[in-house]
Amino acid sequence: MDMEDAISYVLRIGVISSIFFIAVGSALLLVNNGSNGFTLNQIANANTNINSSDFTVPSIMNGLLGYQGLDWILIGLIVLIATPVMRVVMSIFAFAYKRNWLYATITLIVFIDLMIAVFIVPGFIMH
Amino acid sequence: MVILLYFVALLLAGFAAGIVGAMSGLGGGIVIVPALTLLFGIPLEYAAGASLISTIATSSGAASAYVKEKLANIKIGMSLEVATTLGAIAGSLLAAYVYAHGISQILFILFGAVLLISLYPTFIEFRKVHRRRMHRDWSTGFFQLSGSYYDRAKKRVIRYSGYRWWFGEAVMGVAGVISGLLGIGSGALKVIGMDWGMKLPMKVTTATSNFMIGVTAATGSAIYWVLGYIQPFIVAPVVIGILIGAYCGSKLLQRTSGRSIRMLFLIILGIVGIEMILRGFGVA
Repeated sequence: MDMEDAISYVLRIGVISSIFFIAVGSALLLVNNGSNGFTLNQIANANTNINSSDFTVPSIMNGLLGYQGLDWILIGLIVLIATPVMRVVMSIFAFAYKRNWLYATITLIVFIDLMIAVFIVPGFIMH
Repeated sequence: MVILLYFVALLLAGFAAGIVGAMSGLGGGIVIVPALTLLFGIPLEYAAGASLISTIATSSGAASAYVKEKLANIKIGMSLEVATTLGAIAGSLLAAYVYAHGISQILFILFGAVLLISLYPTFIEFRKVHRRRMHRDWSTGFFQLSGSYYDRAKKRVIRYSGYRWWFGEAVMGVAGVISGLLGIGSGALKVIGMDWGMKLPMKVTTATSNFMIGVTAATGSAIYWVLGYIQPFIVAPVVIGILIGAYCGSKLLQRTSGRSIRMLFLIILGIVGIEMILRGFGVA
């Protein structure tokens, strides 16, 4: 399997599994008439204050086991955001394997940019 | 019951945006933001959040096919992503500043302007000019900007090379800022950078742009997450709708010659762009 095929599969698996979580989460949300202690009315209001900033990865993981719809949707979104990150990581290794050091470095820089966005910038925003 | 209907309405809006986005070549994000804000009265930050997340899904779905067909040039895409990711970080922080200061009207005007500018390269594509695509300079060799792909219609392998990497990189920086600021993929700007700037073939340009958008949007989404612009109840139906719509749109595009229908969509999008600008200036 070459690099193109591998990247193609990772992208497809990422999108399909994220849609699965989002669909299950939506169903849970509608069937249970709410999630995470909020009513469906509170969640569905266009100007609601219930959004991603209230949720962290550990809290989402707990909610998954409790069949909380919002947590299922949000884990789907995390999988979706992680999909391009995964393909960048794979490309670093693929370029290094081909001994294309220029592109291994360039891809590493893109990965560092992504990590700055995921870990460093949020730290500044929350403080 | 009312909420269930609201959910279905969002799903259908996403589906329609996916079809129009795929058939016009502009992507679902630039269509769903006006739909959510103008029709549903959803705040711009939540609309932008839903759009940016949807962009990752459609981009990854399309890129999966393009990469397999070797139409997307991974090297060119990756080297330009250095600028789009940095731009996306700057753009989403700028968005945070704008929303925090209650001046989101500016973003409506900017959105309308970007939408109108995005229509231009799509119109150009109708002229179908065949230029010789063998431009070279120092960056062609250094950044390995050449490649080849199999053209199904012409039934032969097309070799190409691009140049002026720095020009492409600069345009991508702007595309990244716009992406983070407005929550769209800014695919049209990426196409301008690679087609006009680097003189790459149109097919490679569109495929590579699709490939890049996922990484740009993921960068912005991570920051949108902590800023609280991602509202699960809006995002969930919109993502699913857009993904299915984009898939159907791409299939429809292969079946129909699609010229007249694309033209119709472009005109509608032009009106939507003007509508967004008017909204920004406070005209209902």
